[in-house]
Amino acid sequence: MDPSSGTLVQVHDFSPWTLPNGLFWIVKVPDSAVQTSPDGKTLTIHLENVPVVDAFTFPPPVPNNFAPDEVDISPYQLIRARASFDITYKKTANPPRRIRPATDDPLSPLNWAGKMWDATNSGTFSVTYDDGTFSASGSFDSSGNFGEVGTERNGFFVHHEEDDNDDDVAAGAQPLSLPFQPAAMSQLAATAITKEPMKFVLLKGRVPVKVIH
Amino acid sequence: MRTIGILNFRNAGGNAMRRRLGYLLFLLLAFSFPLGAQIEPIPNLTVQPIPLPGGDIVPPYGLYNQFFPGPPNQIPPFDPMNADPHGITNFRGVTAMGYTSGPAKDNSGNQYTVITDIRVYQGEYIGGETADVVNSAGATRSGRARGTFVEI
Repeated sequence: MDPSSGTLVQVHDFSPWTLPNGLFWIVKVPDSAVQTSPDGKTLTIHLENVPVVDAFTFPPPVPNNFAPDEVDISPYQLIRARASFDITYKKTANPPRRIRPATDDPLSPLNWAGKMWDATNSGTFSVTYDDGTFSASGSFDSSGNFGEVGTERNGFFVHHEEDDNDDDVAAGAQPLSLPFQPAAMSQLAATAITKEPMKFVLLKGRVPVKVIH
Repeated sequence: MRTIGILNFRNAGGNAMRRRLGYLLFLLLAFSFPLGAQIEPIPNLTVQPIPLPGGDIVPPYGLYNQFFPGPPNQIPPFDPMNADPHGITNFRGVTAMGYTSGPAKDNSGNQYTVITDIRVYQGEYIGGETADVVNSAGATRSGRARGTFVEI
């Protein structure tokens, strides 16, 4: 932190890391980890011991002993950890935004369709290094920051949707929950993957940012 | 979080109480182990989800396959409010996301501000599956699947 500016300095950055194919900070969880209220207005997540790594900042720091042309092959320092959290998302009473694709450009952020409600969210978390040298816990809430909940279609489904009902559903009337499907869990596989060397590609920034008084 | 609860139980004192709490401890541990396997490694899925083709370009890393929708006129700027919040393409289903902040404390008593952007994707997707295990090196074809994904 720069005391004169009062700005925050990021000191930790926890994520599941980016997969080699570019899938960004995403993990697959059982459907039962996400619950939706009967009226579709509230969605909750409960996860425990999700394997993550601490990359310290986003973008992660490039090791200083590598040449500029080695950036894309440089190993990043990652610390294995486990994160647990509970989060509740709540739709606001505002009318939903109906999103229509504004372009055919497959790389554009506006090439998707959906019906999104502004949403608040709040929760609690804990994170612990696998070696036990660091742990932290706390709470968070959106408190005016942007958030949204809804249904969407992208990629193939934008232009090949068989039943486009996005505009026909009254706000709050469409339940968010999907039919429960048991996840094909493999504890052995999960254990094996966590023992692989941490290398992969990159990520983005957040948890937690240290405040210096 | 449950570990914290267990530590509190150990401080309660009294043999009878300890026996009862030991039982509770066992139950907590018993239910904790399956939770350790909550994550299904994506490389093991039959139908592999495909990352969003677009995203934000952040030097020196390059392209992150994700957008960061948000209100205009922020520093640093967000992507447009209606930017796709998803991280997986060819997806149809429920999406939830939101930016948050809050207080946190570490095991040494240091205080932090925690900033999160945790997203949920639940629904149907078209991804890649191996077309012919025997006569190819793993060449893909399109496959449909359903799943719940969380971006942390």
